[in-house]
Amino acid sequence: MWHIAKRELYDNLNSLRFALATVLLLALMLTNAVVHLREHPVRMQKYRDAATESLNTLTSRTDLYDLAQKGPEKLYKKPSLLHFCADGGDSLLPAFTHAASHFRGGELKSFWRMTYPSATPNLKNIDPDATKIDWAFVIGYVLSLIALLFTFDAISGEREHGTLRLMLANPIPRHTVLIGKFLGAFISVNIPFVIAVLMNLLVISTSSAVHLDASEWGRLGIIIGIAMLYLSLFLVLGLLVSARVRQSAVSLVVLLLIWVSFVVFMPNTLASIASRFSPARSYDAFQEDRRQTRRAILEVYYPQLDETDDPSKRMVISGEYVTEDATQDGRVREAFLSERISQVSQARTITRISPVAIAQHLLEVFAGTGLARHLQFVENVQLYAREYHEFIADTERSDPESPHIIGVRDGMSKKKVSPESIPIFEDTLSLSKDFNAAAMDLLLLTLFVIVLLAGAYLAFVRVEV
Amino acid sequence: MITTLIGRELLNNLMTFRFAAAVFITLLLVVANTVVLIEDYEQRLESYNASVKTHHQEIREKQTYSAGEVEVDRPPNPLSIFNVGLDKRLGNEVWISHNYVPTLWEARMNASDNPYLNILSSIDIVFIFEVVLSLMALLFAYDALAGEREHGTLRLVLTHPIRRGHILLAKYISAMLCLLVPLLLSLLFAMILLTATTSISLGADDFLRIGGVVLTSIAYLSVFYLIGLLISAVTQRTGTALMLAMFVWGALVLVYPNLILAAIRSSDIPQAKAVSAFNQIKQVWDEFDRERKQYLATDDFPGEDPTFNIDGIGFFYEYFPKDPLTLLYFYYSMMTFGELDEKFEREVPHAQNYFQFLIPSTIKAAERAWLIRKQALEDTLVRKSNMKRTLLKLSPVGMYDTATQAWAGTDLKGVRDFFDAVRQYRQTLIDYLDSKNAFASRKWFAADEGAVDWSTLPAFSFKKSGVETNAKRALPDLLLLLMLSVSLFMLISLVFIKSEV
Repeated sequence: MWHIAKRELYDNLNSLRFALATVLLLALMLTNAVVHLREHPVRMQKYRDAATESLNTLTSRTDLYDLAQKGPEKLYKKPSLLHFCADGGDSLLPAFTHAASHFRGGELKSFWRMTYPSATPNLKNIDPDATKIDWAFVIGYVLSLIALLFTFDAISGEREHGTLRLMLANPIPRHTVLIGKFLGAFISVNIPFVIAVLMNLLVISTSSAVHLDASEWGRLGIIIGIAMLYLSLFLVLGLLVSARVRQSAVSLVVLLLIWVSFVVFMPNTLASIASRFSPARSYDAFQEDRRQTRRAILEVYYPQLDETDDPSKRMVISGEYVTEDATQDGRVREAFLSERISQVSQARTITRISPVAIAQHLLEVFAGTGLARHLQFVENVQLYAREYHEFIADTERSDPESPHIIGVRDGMSKKKVSPESIPIFEDTLSLSKDFNAAAMDLLLLTLFVIVLLAGAYLAFVRVEV
Repeated sequence: MITTLIGRELLNNLMTFRFAAAVFITLLLVVANTVVLIEDYEQRLESYNASVKTHHQEIREKQTYSAGEVEVDRPPNPLSIFNVGLDKRLGNEVWISHNYVPTLWEARMNASDNPYLNILSSIDIVFIFEVVLSLMALLFAYDALAGEREHGTLRLVLTHPIRRGHILLAKYISAMLCLLVPLLLSLLFAMILLTATTSISLGADDFLRIGGVVLTSIAYLSVFYLIGLLISAVTQRTGTALMLAMFVWGALVLVYPNLILAAIRSSDIPQAKAVSAFNQIKQVWDEFDRERKQYLATDDFPGEDPTFNIDGIGFFYEYFPKDPLTLLYFYYSMMTFGELDEKFEREVPHAQNYFQFLIPSTIKAAERAWLIRKQALEDTLVRKSNMKRTLLKLSPVGMYDTATQAWAGTDLKGVRDFFDAVRQYRQTLIDYLDSKNAFASRKWFAADEGAVDWSTLPAFSFKKSGVETNAKRALPDLLLLLMLSVSLFMLISLVFIKSEV
């Protein structure tokens, strides 16, 4: 088996395709590194400035009522250090959430609720469209194409030249030949790929602007592993078709057609079609829902307020009203957000028929970009919002002199709040959560490889030499 | 003789698996995507119509001239189905005011769609041709010469008294005829779908534009076929030819366009030219502001209060909006009151005089600033993005994309046509207000003696530029493609004539 792999490898190393693949991959990966080094510091600076400003505003407040009414300001999504692995359309996703409180006339101010502004597209950009050159592009499109170009004639070519008959005249089982061929192709595609990846990482890690620590290197390792799994898929596909088809030329045509439809078109077209099935409500409908919800709450509490003149009772009712208004409005907003996100998630789920979409999802998850990352950010925000509410309630409870009516200025503790005690938002990423998000895709990708491998084996065993 | 050759080649090509596959896959992709694209267009049209209606009502509810700011919507282009270009990406709602001259950089986006859907990319018909048909063209070409040489049939053919050029021509013509089948067949289906959609009404001009797209597609196919033929002519073995052809395809279609755009720095920092233009624009407005303050200081009304102490139900504000990146800077003020208390009656003539002075001088300053800004925008933002477009044209994909965008009217120039119309409309509006003597009128800021009658307000209409304009914009790239074809053909002839069989 090793003998076959070695022969295959030597064959490939001297070939034109090996040289061309190396050049292509190197050019792409170096561009990727250079662009990342140029853009990443800017992106980080922007994030740091915005997050610091928001945090400073928050910690400058010392009045508990202010803190409870205005909320934790804007919360920003931390840009990923591994942005160069997968762009994930991050510029098309919102970068922050906003704790907004609407102004109500008079003494009564409405309390904050988390709002989820949508990303503002850059309308000032008049440049032509381009796909981002990230690892996901290099692996998803270019590497898969190269894999097919390395394997399309692996079996059919030998059969055409008659060398397959020669090889099988030796006492070698057919599956050994198949695995030998696979290994040979796998190693020969991996050589240019690994060289390109190493050059890319070398450029990125030598720069002082980007620091990758152990967890990032671990993620990079996983990403490279996924790339190799994905690469195997296309190598096996190439072997399968090459075993089934008599002529190499036809084999390549079949492979290219499969590649074009599954890699280039399937994800886009399927996602577009699928996103029509479960449309989210329109923005206007959502606003109408909000208005009705808030009016309903108003209609419950205002008559109660009118009934009584007792200031302490009025305070209790006002507090309840303000709290209820913020909670219910926040709930409607969250529901709308999850509607919108589930529309996109559903569309993306259907694209899993295409391996490139699976690889893209996996790379995004482990690079900490894209939709999966955004969902984790939203989850972090919601956790933090709960923590913040608890902090307000705890601080309130710890003051024995206060009447404990959250929602009105006079009902709340007048004690100064120390800036250190205010909880700070941390947008953390956890690898175990990422694995949970990726499990399905990993399984699917592995299954794809296994099924194709079995297919290739069957096809090759039955082949007439 | 040449017809025999063509016939032979045609038969050879038509019987192949790759031909059937090309037809099938192109048809499938085009039909599936056209359905999606039409639906998307309809959605955008619906949102456009709703927005037009809202804006139409909104302006009629405004009580004073000062508050009556018109908003104009950019209709979606039905030909964006062929090449979406910038049609979907740039703002489609622009606010018109006498205070500034609007450009596409001030336009906002009005979309009813779920914004999270933006992470899913969409494709148009030209993209399908760009990828699939170029691949097919190479697959038809790679063994045209190398294969015959390998099989020895080339020698056989050349024993007949045929000129080598004729062999090439026959191969070219027959392959192009074969490649036209998937192109035209899929376009036919797309056209059937298009014409069956009631919301899309295509005029004669539009069909000519689509004809332009088809013509450009043919030129594009021809370039890729000839690239393949050239590879086939210079290589000895089909295996090598195929490998080379595939890598050339990957480099030209997949890698180069994205690589070159990624490599060019696109910074947020304005260039020196833009900074100086911005300062000039600021000076214009500073001068305007000085004059304005001087007027306020010297008029009959004591003090420099631009509201003349008038207050009521309504609002007043003034500020200088700015954006150094797009060189935007102007003075914006609005004063509008629904009702005026009797006690302000004394101040009303002062305010009237002030606005009679202020509005014309604002318009004048806006014009002066626009002259500077127009040139500077051309020199900085537009030139930079055009440079990127030029670099893209080093690959035939870039030429094809630019030319088809020009035909469809979704290129930068096509979108800017709309904003030219918007600027013209702004002038019409100013003339209209002037003819109504609105600037000096009490209704400019107060509606206590009746609201403004907007029924005679001139309506905005945007007519797409004629097909000859599209042709003029598309021709350079179409010619480039054709010239590339011709020179490739000549190159192949040279190589082929000199080659040993």
